[in-house]
Amino acid sequence: MRWATRSGPHVDRTACAWLIRCFIDSKAEFVFVDDPDEVPDDATPFDMRGVELSHHEGDCTFETILHRYELDDPVLWAIGRIVHQADIEDDRFDAPEADGLDALMRGLSMVREDQEVLDLSAPLYDGLYEYLRRSAVIGRDPS
Amino acid sequence: MATGEWVQLSYRVPREPSTPRIAIWRQLRSLGVAKLGDGLVALPLDPRAREQFEWIADEIEQAGGEAAIWIARPGSGRQERTLIEAMREAISGEYRELIESAAAAESAPSKRDLAKLRRHLRKVKRRDYFPPPERERAEVAIGNVAEALRSVAA
Repeated sequence: MRWATRSGPHVDRTACAWLIRCFIDSKAEFVFVDDPDEVPDDATPFDMRGVELSHHEGDCTFETILHRYELDDPVLWAIGRIVHQADIEDDRFDAPEADGLDALMRGLSMVREDQEVLDLSAPLYDGLYEYLRRSAVIGRDPS
Repeated sequence: MATGEWVQLSYRVPREPSTPRIAIWRQLRSLGVAKLGDGLVALPLDPRAREQFEWIADEIEQAGGEAAIWIARPGSGRQERTLIEAMREAISGEYRELIESAAAAESAPSKRDLAKLRRHLRKVKRRDYFPPPERERAEVAIGNVAEALRSVAA
């Protein structure tokens, strides 16, 4: 399936692409557009104005996708809180990882093409998932 | 002098209910927007500013209001300078408050106060588009609190 989002992906879009590919559509292909009108007919748009998979009622797109696809893995919701704080900065959650993640993703998008940003950021989200999964299992920060 | 590009949000939010209207204004304020008139705010054009305006525009529409985003250029260099001066003046006020709080915290420094000051400074810097000299002074003032805390601990 094809998925479309705005070019220059930062934290919310990179995290969503990772989420889509790992938990919704393992064969996902991503296209980047500059204007909502450019979204191909066969692509599902996300993190763009006026589409279903986007910011809703104060949630970031990552959280909207978790809701919409009924993904109830608590580790994904923990990532959602980090992405939310990094993207929206409204202090709804205490997520100290947010600032660092935001800086890394912004920086990455300055030095790499959109597609490459997704490929390079995916292992970071794999790692973040594993880190948060282990801390949930042992009830404290893993070493 | 050539003027720069700005992103503008023109909007209208219903007076009632007031909760979304206040939430929207709070978000605009935390972005450090320049208020150009009733229902018209602006920021220097960059991808983040534009994206934030887009999300807020969505929220305004969901709250039953109207919103549009424009890319604009001030008609004259003088007009732009006035705008920049007003933004710089507003943000230096925020830095001055921080400098005062830091000075107050320095005599009996605590980790908690330091963390709070640093967090506040980060937020102010996020909405500082035309850094005034007070920015560095605020950084130094908060650095002094960290230094005072270190000598207390030693």
